[in-house]
Amino acid sequence: MRLPETQVALLEAASATDTRTIEQLADEVDADSVAVTRAAFELEAAGLLTVEEHRAESVELTEEAERYLEQGLPELRLYRAAVDAGADEGGAPMGELVGAAGLEGSEVDIALSNFARKGFGRIEAGEVIVDLSGGPDVDPDADPEMEALEAIAAGEAGYVDEGALDRLHSRGLVVRSDTTIRSVTLTDDGVTALMEGVEVAETVGAVTPELLTSGEWRDVEFTEYNVEADAETVNGGKEHILRQTANRVKDVLVGMGFQEMEGPHADAEFWINDCLFMPQDHPARTHWDQFGLEVPPMEELPEDLLARVESAHREGVGEDGDGYHSPWTTDVARQVDLRGHTTSLSMRYLSGEAVGELEPPKRYFSVEKVYRNDTLDPTHLLEFFQIEGWVMAEELSVRDLMGTFTEFYEQFGITDLEFKPHYNPYTEPSFELFGEHPETGELIEVGNSGIFREEVLTPLGVDCDVMAWGLALERLLMLMYGFEDIRDVHGTMCDLELLRNVEVVH
Amino acid sequence: MPVVDVDPDELRRLVGTEDDDETLKSELFALGLEFEGETDDGEFQLEFAPDRLDRLSVEGIARSLRYQYGEDRGVYVPTTNDAEWLIEVDETVPEERPYVTGAIVRDVNLSEDGLDSLIQLQEKLHATMGRTRAKGAIGIHDLAMLKGRAADDDRAKSIQYRGVEPNGDRFVPLDDDAERTPAEVLETHPTGETYGHIVEGMDRYPAIYDDIGLFSFPPVINGKRTEVETDTRDLLIEMTGTDQWTIDKMLNIVCYALDARGGRIEEVNVVYDDRRLLRPDLSTSTKTVSHERIETVIGIDIAGNDVVDLLERAGLDATVEEVGDEELVYEVEIPPYRVDVLHPLDIVDDVGRAYGFNDLEPKYPDVSTVGGRHERSRLEDAARDALVGLGFEDLLNFHLTNEAELFGRMGIDPDDDAVGAHEPPTITEPYSEEYTVVRTWLLPSLLMVLENNTHRQYPQDLAEIGLAAAVDHDEPTHVAEHRAIAGVLARTDASYEDAKARLQAIATAFGKSLETPPTDHPSFIDGRAARIVLDGESVGVVGELHPRVLVEHDLELPVAGFEFRLDGLA
Repeated sequence: MRLPETQVALLEAASATDTRTIEQLADEVDADSVAVTRAAFELEAAGLLTVEEHRAESVELTEEAERYLEQGLPELRLYRAAVDAGADEGGAPMGELVGAAGLEGSEVDIALSNFARKGFGRIEAGEVIVDLSGGPDVDPDADPEMEALEAIAAGEAGYVDEGALDRLHSRGLVVRSDTTIRSVTLTDDGVTALMEGVEVAETVGAVTPELLTSGEWRDVEFTEYNVEADAETVNGGKEHILRQTANRVKDVLVGMGFQEMEGPHADAEFWINDCLFMPQDHPARTHWDQFGLEVPPMEELPEDLLARVESAHREGVGEDGDGYHSPWTTDVARQVDLRGHTTSLSMRYLSGEAVGELEPPKRYFSVEKVYRNDTLDPTHLLEFFQIEGWVMAEELSVRDLMGTFTEFYEQFGITDLEFKPHYNPYTEPSFELFGEHPETGELIEVGNSGIFREEVLTPLGVDCDVMAWGLALERLLMLMYGFEDIRDVHGTMCDLELLRNVEVVH
Repeated sequence: MPVVDVDPDELRRLVGTEDDDETLKSELFALGLEFEGETDDGEFQLEFAPDRLDRLSVEGIARSLRYQYGEDRGVYVPTTNDAEWLIEVDETVPEERPYVTGAIVRDVNLSEDGLDSLIQLQEKLHATMGRTRAKGAIGIHDLAMLKGRAADDDRAKSIQYRGVEPNGDRFVPLDDDAERTPAEVLETHPTGETYGHIVEGMDRYPAIYDDIGLFSFPPVINGKRTEVETDTRDLLIEMTGTDQWTIDKMLNIVCYALDARGGRIEEVNVVYDDRRLLRPDLSTSTKTVSHERIETVIGIDIAGNDVVDLLERAGLDATVEEVGDEELVYEVEIPPYRVDVLHPLDIVDDVGRAYGFNDLEPKYPDVSTVGGRHERSRLEDAARDALVGLGFEDLLNFHLTNEAELFGRMGIDPDDDAVGAHEPPTITEPYSEEYTVVRTWLLPSLLMVLENNTHRQYPQDLAEIGLAAAVDHDEPTHVAEHRAIAGVLARTDASYEDAKARLQAIATAFGKSLETPPTDHPSFIDGRAARIVLDGESVGVVGELHPRVLVEHDLELPVAGFEFRLDGLA
């Protein structure tokens, strides 16, 4: 019979009459006990050995205990120092004794409390007085705890008195744990196999080209690995979690028939705000809310559109329409800003500026960065991704809007959408969207939506209905993942460990 | 969004209801007023969108609730008494703030609550319609303390809106006890510091005088002489600003609030050089709304009399007219406190709110379109896949950064002829010193991530595909934007070859020929940097980062890196 090396050694070391533990056998065959255990189970499976298991308590010394083993328990050191200083006759000053006993840090307190507990004497007015008269059992030279420590160190934990063991445990000097002890005995088949002769099969470390071409692989055993051991950490590359989320959103929208938009990050306020019927003195249009750029004004704006937008602001749209009572100048419209929303793209597309005149029906979206001069905190960044989408059709109602968004949010586990009537300068009716948090069940704001006003659409030359909505991608990500600080993932303060270990979106 | 503090007991009294707090809150939510919390005095803090500015007071909210409860229906307009007082606009009025309006309210029973509510309404109107007093500012005075100058005929009394030299007439401002000139007020008074910028640069400051002298310095502060107390019975309300319509509407909102407290509104003549206005102007306006538009926008079939009912419950009046082919239209009358109705569509929204939007059944729109990704976004995704396949951790950094990160710490100068060296688009009024420009290149962002993660396991192979921009006057926006691909390899044995090997793999994946002629770039070690040339076009740079740059970023191991334009792979 040919068996792997460890199995052969184990078989030879085992006995049919004596039950021997794996630990003893591992020592004897000079092999790792994990490997021997595995070999034992394999031999058992082959019917050559029986393996028995029983539970046993193991006791191990802590680091502190190891130190006391060398130096003596603190209370014993204090006692000896006290005796040396003659404190069995009168008292000796504690300060001196602490030094003489070499007690440091917490050892002082440990020494004093155990000194008293064990009846070695007492402490009075800073003096240590040795007095062993407390009882006949008090014997510092044969201290049961010290003896127990020594016994455990010598591997004779089994002989230690239970009381002393409990005491050491409560002092944090030993760790007690349950272990499984396995012992093996040769079976009759095992004895027979040994008598017939067992040989060591040749083992090789790796599959080599020679091994394969020569056919030698047929006669070899491969060295066993510890297949349970941890392997080296490999950090494979991974798409950024926010990109994954963006792509998930894009997939959903493309599936719902939306085309992706594209356009400039730095754009004229005309496209960013004026087309959206945001009055030029709107509070969100101050320098504190948007990022103006130090570049000359944008001259290339479609003049006829510019005039129509100005007229909408000043006079309103339609027979019964009123305009704003706010100043309007082309200087403001031409100022170049970093866009505060991607609705600037929607305006460029709806006006025909981006891809030519659009005929209904159309669906468009973008998941792109926008910039807000806001406070930087765990949930707000100066720049973030906005999901923007709109549907253009001959006739759209609030119910169509509700149906579209219900469908979209359900893809992300956000159900029971509620529509809270809201106000935006550019949509009417407008709704804040609230949904149930997938984890906590709380009602949370998940977006802003509405049907574009005629003051927005008419100047753009659109004479059908367009409904639109927007939300922050980061908000969706935080909902899906429960991130608490968005700065951990977005930006140069990101934690590489978090990015490497975060679960993928699917 | 505006937040108004409202005493719930006061609200209950004005509405005439005994609803408990919870019911009240849910009724308010249905109106669009969200309960945000309570003040220390137990007042509700209610937040709402800034369209219905007539709800900036407990009186205004109570009015809306009475409509909602069905206690009131249709348009209400308070009666007014004939004018006794006039405001004469003098030619010395600063041209920057030419408009004034006003009203008198008599027999008002203010009490502590009433005065608090009035002050809050004044502040909230300043913050919203008044554009922090720049567009419109409100002054409220004790009429009993004013002495009108005889005008027109014997009975009329007049006050003047005029200009005052900054160092001209003196008056005692509110919360002060010394006579000061307007210029002194700007220097010494807290509100002078806050609102002084509005009058900055004016030759003469706005001022209101009665027969005794200057009593108001709008938009900064009133005089102490006419201060309103809880026992004040008769009020003069004046408003000045840059737009007549805006201050007239603000005045209407204040008059409606005081009317709800039992005040009697008395008109005031506002006399300009070329025209005479009778204020407050409480006339209603009308809009024509088609029945068909209501049905298509809300997505319901509804009977004409039901629409009229909903309009009346929204505080509007309507008459139905049949035009043409059984086509219904509504002539809708809108009360003078509404500032949000610009278009018939705004009336449709009111109908929808009264109907209850949340009672509508969602439906998926029956229109079919073909979806698809933008070409650039597909290219970017393919490039990102290639990078990730090569083991790069994909990053996402801010587009905003500062010049020190882009240039100084990278050892380059914006005037150099090198990748990354361009004039960056600069923010006019940056939020913080850390974020002042849009990045001109991506490698500085990657080095910052390396710098912030030196405690994390190496190797660190990082990449990003993202936006970079530069000032370029050939572009319509004067900003040239492009997407770039950047990668760094931070490992104990990182070398130029490691970076180039990965570049080669990317070029092959996109079917591009790659050449790397040597170049000088101050961020890289001399002799270990090359231009990236894809299909004959120079699109970027590759090399070993200069030790100067590494040490600057607290890195203690070599880094090889590259950056090139994404469109090089197109």
